[in-house]
Amino acid sequence: MEKMKLQKLYSDFKPDIDIIENELEKALQSTSHLLNDASLHLLHAGGKRIRPLFVLMSAKFGNYSIDRMKYAAVPLELIHMGSLVHDDVIDHSNMRRGRPTVRSQWNNRVAMLTGSFIFGRAIQYVTHIENPKAHQILARTMVEICKGEIIQIEDKFRINQNLKDYFRRIKRKTALLIESSCEVGAVVAEADPEVTKRLKRFGYYVGMSYQIVDDVLDFTSTDKQLGKPAGSDLLQGNITLPILLMKNHPKILRFIERASKGIVTEQERLEMLQIVRKSDSIKQALKISDQYLEKAMKEVERLPDNPTKKRLKEIALFIGKRKF
Amino acid sequence: MDTTYIENQIEQLKKAIYRQVEHRTLVKYTGDPLVDENQLFYLLLPLLNGDHWDEENYEGVIAVGIVEASLAEHSYIDEHDATSKVQQLTVLSGDYYSGRFYEILANSGNISLIRELSESVILRSEHEIRIYEPNRYAIDDWLETLTIIETECISRFYQLYNYNHYLYIMKKHLLILRLQNELLNYREGNSSLLLQKMMESFQRSEDMNFEHYLQNKIDGLVHQLRELLRTSSMKSELKRYIEERLIRESKER
Repeated sequence: MEKMKLQKLYSDFKPDIDIIENELEKALQSTSHLLNDASLHLLHAGGKRIRPLFVLMSAKFGNYSIDRMKYAAVPLELIHMGSLVHDDVIDHSNMRRGRPTVRSQWNNRVAMLTGSFIFGRAIQYVTHIENPKAHQILARTMVEICKGEIIQIEDKFRINQNLKDYFRRIKRKTALLIESSCEVGAVVAEADPEVTKRLKRFGYYVGMSYQIVDDVLDFTSTDKQLGKPAGSDLLQGNITLPILLMKNHPKILRFIERASKGIVTEQERLEMLQIVRKSDSIKQALKISDQYLEKAMKEVERLPDNPTKKRLKEIALFIGKRKF
Repeated sequence: MDTTYIENQIEQLKKAIYRQVEHRTLVKYTGDPLVDENQLFYLLLPLLNGDHWDEENYEGVIAVGIVEASLAEHSYIDEHDATSKVQQLTVLSGDYYSGRFYEILANSGNISLIRELSESVILRSEHEIRIYEPNRYAIDDWLETLTIIETECISRFYQLYNYNHYLYIMKKHLLILRLQNELLNYREGNSSLLLQKMMESFQRSEDMNFEHYLQNKIDGLVHQLRELLRTSSMKSELKRYIEERLIRESKER
């Protein structure tokens, strides 16, 4: 059902998204069979391709040409993919999108080289664009994502963190890449600077909402829907919004303590999920996500008239209400 | 120009690289970026020899040094378990350095060098991953892999800025140093995975074992390097410095 909704939203861009999909496949071709297998393994596992979609939608507010825009859209997805491969090494994850991760199918070193190869391809691909501004946005994004991940490691199992810490972290972890997708799309299509700023802000708000929903889904979805055990974030020490809003619930604090020692049982995980699901924090977190979505909508309202405006709103709403 | 002057230049470049990627948490847990002084020497060689050199070149060598440091960090990731905080941050330090090289060059609009270095990262990854492939490579293929790992980024820099006249000397010397290092580790019983793959490819002949083969290979390369130096128009102080490094490294190793 959800996937059908998403396909409908993509319908206007279907031919161009297909081109991006083909380009992604081409970009990941390598003289090494192993690199081919490892990187295509991830590509074929799917993904929503929302970053390329935001690039293309933003470009509709300037001089749109898929032949040019693909050089911006493909690298954005590759940067995302490369960071997933390396994240799985950091998190020791065995499953992603319901399939074994590169690190679990091969090993950490293969995953490191695959991630570096994908990053290399992303940067090589974007050099087809001569505009330094596009490079500056992407480069800054790559650096800031890393800074966000470094903070995430520092913050692991740290109970005394506040909402500000959380928002700062998810801004870098997720919102920035969506913000950059919108900004790069507009910059490469040479949209008006004021329009570019609005699209950038739209991307930021949608990105914040996206990550909050992601953090909620980690507790509310089933293992099957997630393709990994529900509650994995907390098991790995990532204290997300639903937990922060529970204001030091004693059982959750005890769970975090045990998770930090790596001694959580399956029964305890299921119990933790029950507590979080029954609490008010899920509703509160989704309310905050909605507030970001409202801000995103306001930015869309202020954009010049364009058929893509409607699609931007629909995509933003889908992200806020999605169930996978 | 004497050895001290050259080493000061290398030291300055090293510090410039550190400054560009400085990050409090990374320094605390993973230490300073891993830079190879021999590679830094070859990056500075055109400057030391009096070739055309400007700010763009200096920024370029910093970027190359950062790419090398990024890839070096990633080579320290354990194959099976990278869950310790230091290992997790080592993954991120490599990614952070990689982002910083791109950011530095993007800010100055040096798209050509961005392209060259991204292609060298791709090629290096394709070669480094060979040790995990089931394919059986010939021993010369492994030597090519080692050469690419040690020299590809610098080669791209030379090619872009027309410093090709140093290419062969740099390639030979950095390969010699790597092989000497591999040989030393072999003798100490700590063979790298790559050397183990080379050994598998080595066809034992009646009068030569692998260690002799490797030593002969190094001796042959040293002879070729000396020949290249003899016919090179490079400043004599620099030739002497390279000779000194050859002798020093072989003693240290």
